Amino acid sequence: METTNVILCGLGGQGILFMTKIFAHAALGKGFNIIGAETHGMAQRGGSVISHLKIGDPESSLVRAGSADFLVALEENESYRNLPFVASHARIYVNSDSGKFPVAQVKSFLQAHEIAAYAAPASQMAGELGASLSTNLAMIGFYSAFNEKPFTSGELRETVERISPERFRELNLKVFDTAHDYGKSQGPV
Amino acid sequence: MNREEILLGNGAIALGLLEGGCQILTSYPGTPSSEILPEAVRFIKSQELNIYTEWSTNEKVALDNAFAAAVAGKRSACIMKQVGLNVAADSLMSAAYIGTVGGFVIVSCDDPGPHSSQTEQDTRMMARVAKVPVFDPSSPKEARAMAKAAMELSEEFSVPVILRPAIRVCHARQNLTIGKIEPNNTKADFVKDPSRWAATPKFRLKLHGELNVKLATIAERFSGMSQFNSHNLETGKKYPLGIIAGGVPYSVVADLFNEDARTDIPVLKIGTPYPFPQKLADEFTGACEKVLVIEETDTVIEYLLQDRKKVLGRLSGNIPSQGELTPEVVFSCINNAAEAAGIKPLSGKTADEAVRLVSELDLPIRKPTLCPGCPHRSSFYAIRKARPKAIFTSDIGCYTLGLNLGGVDTCLDMGAAITMASGFYQAYAQDGETKPIVATMGDSTFFHSGTAGLLSAVYNDARFIFVILDNEITAMTGMQPTPGLGIRADGSKGNQITLEQAVKGCGVDFLEVVDPYDIDSMKKVMKKAAEFTESPEGGIAVVIARHPCVIAYRDQAIPNKKRVTVTEDCIDCGYCRKRYECPALIRDPEVSRTAIDRQICADCGLCIEICPKKAIVEESI
Repeated sequence: METTNVILCGLGGQGILFMTKIFAHAALGKGFNIIGAETHGMAQRGGSVISHLKIGDPESSLVRAGSADFLVALEENESYRNLPFVASHARIYVNSDSGKFPVAQVKSFLQAHEIAAYAAPASQMAGELGASLSTNLAMIGFYSAFNEKPFTSGELRETVERISPERFRELNLKVFDTAHDYGKSQGPV
Repeated sequence: MNREEILLGNGAIALGLLEGGCQILTSYPGTPSSEILPEAVRFIKSQELNIYTEWSTNEKVALDNAFAAAVAGKRSACIMKQVGLNVAADSLMSAAYIGTVGGFVIVSCDDPGPHSSQTEQDTRMMARVAKVPVFDPSSPKEARAMAKAAMELSEEFSVPVILRPAIRVCHARQNLTIGKIEPNNTKADFVKDPSRWAATPKFRLKLHGELNVKLATIAERFSGMSQFNSHNLETGKKYPLGIIAGGVPYSVVADLFNEDARTDIPVLKIGTPYPFPQKLADEFTGACEKVLVIEETDTVIEYLLQDRKKVLGRLSGNIPSQGELTPEVVFSCINNAAEAAGIKPLSGKTADEAVRLVSELDLPIRKPTLCPGCPHRSSFYAIRKARPKAIFTSDIGCYTLGLNLGGVDTCLDMGAAITMASGFYQAYAQDGETKPIVATMGDSTFFHSGTAGLLSAVYNDARFIFVILDNEITAMTGMQPTPGLGIRADGSKGNQITLEQAVKGCGVDFLEVVDPYDIDSMKKVMKKAAEFTESPEGGIAVVIARHPCVIAYRDQAIPNKKRVTVTEDCIDCGYCRKRYECPALIRDPEVSRTAIDRQICADCGLCIEICPKKAIVEESI
């Protein structure tokens, strides 16, 4: 199969690893192989965190600059920082409460490369549901509304249900569903 | 009972070692190696295997322990990061000559980048220096296979073997199938042979000769080991350019060529760079006019290729001599060499335009920082308040980030906070000058390599304050226990050794324990300690700043939570943000004041004491 390249990014402590886990298990559930790369150690302490995920049969773990099919960012500036990874005609999904996403320079770059950008106030949505640490799940729910290949929203939801720890399961699904419904009403920025 | 699991590369390595019949595993944590031992513990528990695991106090201790088990005929492994192998180098060199009975694998994980290390050193170079065979995996899947193969090769030739995964293997994730691990029930049986196990120089010469014979045989073997070393030359065909790659760069090259459906540039994969599979390499270079060598991080394959005129690599300026060989770096190296050889370059755009855009955006630099509520932050704050003019020697751990608070002037290697403090002291003392010096080191680092330096400093009457930042865990590498905690690798109870016992045992006469959450008390203790170092009858003063890590002991670390807010008294002087450098203290540009980032604030309330205007207060509920 053709490889799907994914970049997931944000800040240390935002739950990038758990978000990666959901995508990886969703892929595995469909019978695909995965390989990816994570940030650990010194770099993890509050800094920029990036997770590479490749779905298919590649041998290396890093996504090459200019080749990510989609990017999900838990923080606006981190989405900008990782733009070099994004391929032309790709999609980016960004958590933004500011309403200022994307800034003008980025907007013209996205247009020139026909990259579609979708933004959601994911932290705010999670916070309102009493799950301020679940921005990651809100972003997956939001993303799922757009039926990006190779996942359907049902497959992602089922994966969240399957791998969430028991005590967070119900809340995680609520955050996922709320953000999914929000996404249904949104187009590219 | 086969099941599929998404494993960290370090999990794949643990699995491979156990599948290779490993009975004893020892380790000292260090990124990117830290998860190997805990993953092994997980497999051992789930399959109820009788396999011994230990967190050793340092890498040399780990190597010696595992080596002895292999001398007794068992299969063993020791696990560390690349700079840890420096600590164990003395043992490694000697072990290579002596050899073993059971299989003995040293896993040394490299960190090209570097992402979380003080150097980018290449363990394959260490293998050459020590004359020990080395395997260089390109993916988690291959690391698993190589761990087992390394164990078997080691036992067959009675020689230690190194497995060197780089960070992109260790911290890669890949789906792998896990089956039943066959137990290895070999019993310990040490056969006395002093001429070998305690060889004197005369016998060492003989052992060196034997090692050379082993290496020559293994080099032959490697040339035919097609699962790890192979090329895709078509018989009789000549090529203007070929690529020789090993480890992670090999997998990058393979993906680039697959994506572009290119087969016109042949690739030789070297999975076992030492002893070098010369025969296979000669066959490959013979068919190519030029060969581009892509390896991390140093020049091992490049040096060992014999037809020097054909070789392109670091020495010819074709490959960068520092930094990680990311896919985009490899992409441009290949295309530059292809262009020079008159071959069509790889298709695909570079990301130059986006990189330029990002640099123009002037995004905030996200440097790593101590966590909100971290007790090290208040320790550094108190230390600087009490001894503002001191030289601050520090060490390897979370607290290296005391840099951001101006509390760290030096960081050399594990243990150097003490040894550099004593070195600074003697350098100034020789000139008749008394320089205030404060050394900081974590609890785990002190057990790793603090005692030898402290003994020497006490013995030679150095004078400085040594603060042990005791958060009761090895935090930076992922919360491994220490001897001070007395919990062992498998979670069982060991014998606790307190820092107090160890410090007193080193001959220190001044020892105070303080909770750094009480900033005032810590300042007072620091002043008392300073007086002791300066008095003629004094000596080294040790202060243990003890408070649990806020991540490892989330529920106990902050018993009295204080939700803080910033009042209108804030004059936006920035003192708290600069001097206390807590990531939860942010600037609100709309009101030109400091604000609290509620998302990350740990409610420790320590910043209340910091504000010179008393504008940070506990929120009234």
